[in-house]
Amino acid sequence: MDNSETSKGKLIVTWLFNPFHYIAGGKALVIGLVVILLTGLIGSFSNTHFDGVLDIHTGLPAPTWVFLMEGLVDWLSLGIPLCVVALIFTKSKVRLLDVFGTQALARFPMIVNALLSLLPGFQRQIAQLPRMGPQFSPSDIVPMDMAVFAFVLLCSLTMLVWMVALMYRAYAVSCNIRGGKRVVLFIAALLVGEVISKVVLIVALNHLGLL
Amino acid sequence: MNKRLLPVSCPSCEQTLKVRRFECSNCDTAVEGNFDLPTLARLTPEEQSFVLNLVKCGGSLKDLAKIYGVSYPTVRNRLDALIERLDGLQSQASDEEGS
Repeated sequence: MDNSETSKGKLIVTWLFNPFHYIAGGKALVIGLVVILLTGLIGSFSNTHFDGVLDIHTGLPAPTWVFLMEGLVDWLSLGIPLCVVALIFTKSKVRLLDVFGTQALARFPMIVNALLSLLPGFQRQIAQLPRMGPQFSPSDIVPMDMAVFAFVLLCSLTMLVWMVALMYRAYAVSCNIRGGKRVVLFIAALLVGEVISKVVLIVALNHLGLL
Repeated sequence: MNKRLLPVSCPSCEQTLKVRRFECSNCDTAVEGNFDLPTLARLTPEEQSFVLNLVKCGGSLKDLAKIYGVSYPTVRNRLDALIERLDGLQSQASDEEGS
């Protein structure tokens, strides 16, 4: 592979796994928010909820604005703890716009999950799940639907892993924390963010009578 | 003519090189002594280029990011790494002076 091909390859890898090397701040925020809201809107067509920083669940009908709100809550729930981490632990002059902007953009793999959830085979299999009790007969399983379901689950997991990798890279670039504590602090912020998002969304949906 | 890079460390033992002799190409005057390389001269060519571009941008990291085609935090992180490197070089220079 010659130098130009190696450079092209490196460029593609950088754009896929660390786009924040090239894009951050207001631009990342605008693109990220558009993607978050689009994800919520697409998710509303298949009742797919992004009801936690790392959560996806399908099935519960709700007004469209709930799906949009979930994405925003997820984004803020991780962004806020990361800002706190940055303000306490970094020696750099961190811009909060970079932290929130890059975290918004990091959520873009979820749009793939929202699109995959629209697949009819996946939807049919989801509808079958509550019926899979002791009296369920294996002959009721449609092999193709099961295959689609498994494919969507596998892709969803891959997208989730990719999103977490992007979240970490976004945090690494925007907060510039060095050393071993960088990973530990990210994991702590991710756990805190997940808890915050679940609590906020459960309280909100309960209050609205949707749970 | 190919541009030659200023060597800053010994290829044998990797210690910092010192300057022993300056020559005038106009009148052949030579000055000999034991001179330390300035801190900025000890940076890599890429780091020196970064410093030059930063000065030419009037210290604006935003403009510098546009020149390099990268994001603002990427340039800021490079600057922070450079500051650390410069601190290290300066403290190394004071240690050498002391000894």
